[in-house]
Amino acid sequence: MNSFAKELFLIFAITASGVAYSVISGQAPAPWVEAELEAGEIHMVDAEVLDPIWIDARTENDFEIAHIKGALLLNESNWDDGIFELMGVWLQSPRPVVIYCSSESCGTSKRIAEQLRAELPSAEIYSLHGGWQP
Amino acid sequence: MKQNLATALCALVARLVLAGVFAIAALPKIKDPVAFAASIHGYQVIDGVLVNWVALVLPWLELTVAIGLLVPSIRHASAVCIGGLLVVFIGLHASAWRRGLDISCGCFGTGAEPTTDYSLLILRNVGLLLAVIWIFWRDCAAKSQTSEIAL
Repeated sequence: MNSFAKELFLIFAITASGVAYSVISGQAPAPWVEAELEAGEIHMVDAEVLDPIWIDARTENDFEIAHIKGALLLNESNWDDGIFELMGVWLQSPRPVVIYCSSESCGTSKRIAEQLRAELPSAEIYSLHGGWQP
Repeated sequence: MKQNLATALCALVARLVLAGVFAIAALPKIKDPVAFAASIHGYQVIDGVLVNWVALVLPWLELTVAIGLLVPSIRHASAVCIGGLLVVFIGLHASAWRRGLDISCGCFGTGAEPTTDYSLLILRNVGLLLAVIWIFWRDCAAKSQTSEIAL
């Protein structure tokens, strides 16, 4: 075995040891176990049961192309208009608010959810797990 | 002589920067592989159980090659692995940029990171790639010189 192959073998052996340590110590769940929901997240099937106020946190362009029926546009670039519209709907008929963006890791829905929790502390606010795509 | 010393110092700094970047990137992901899996999922390149495996293995590989870059016995292969990883990252970011994905990078951990600035990410990774190529080329040149002297 040449020296480069030996080096690669050593790197992969150390990496495999690290992976084994993560799994055995419980620091990481076994990779075949499905990830649980993070705090403040909700699955689509559970959200639909709540008949929530949907908030679309994607871009205005994406919103115009398609959105969940009845959703309101609210993102960082139209915060003032969006929050005004949301307040109107929520005060008229208080119910849970579910925010979605385009994918599980887009981050926008979580940021908007955090900001809304500060603005509406008495509201039930979730971010949609996995995001939404037309 | 003075020039050699300056070049050696530059190589050491480049090595330390690369090792530091990869180690800092790896540690939060090792701590929270579930959240890192969510970041990987956002790129919409792989799916299912494979995402979990990548989220578990990649941070450990990053940490190993980061340390390996400073260990003489495995530094060549570590440099090659870092170069390979950077090429993959550049490709992924370019692909996500082209598809207009609104995702967090997942580069230095996870959570609600601001939306990715792809041009900056690609530029940073190209810089790191050039640094690792230079280090590798320099190591190879030094190795062949040593072999010639031994002969």
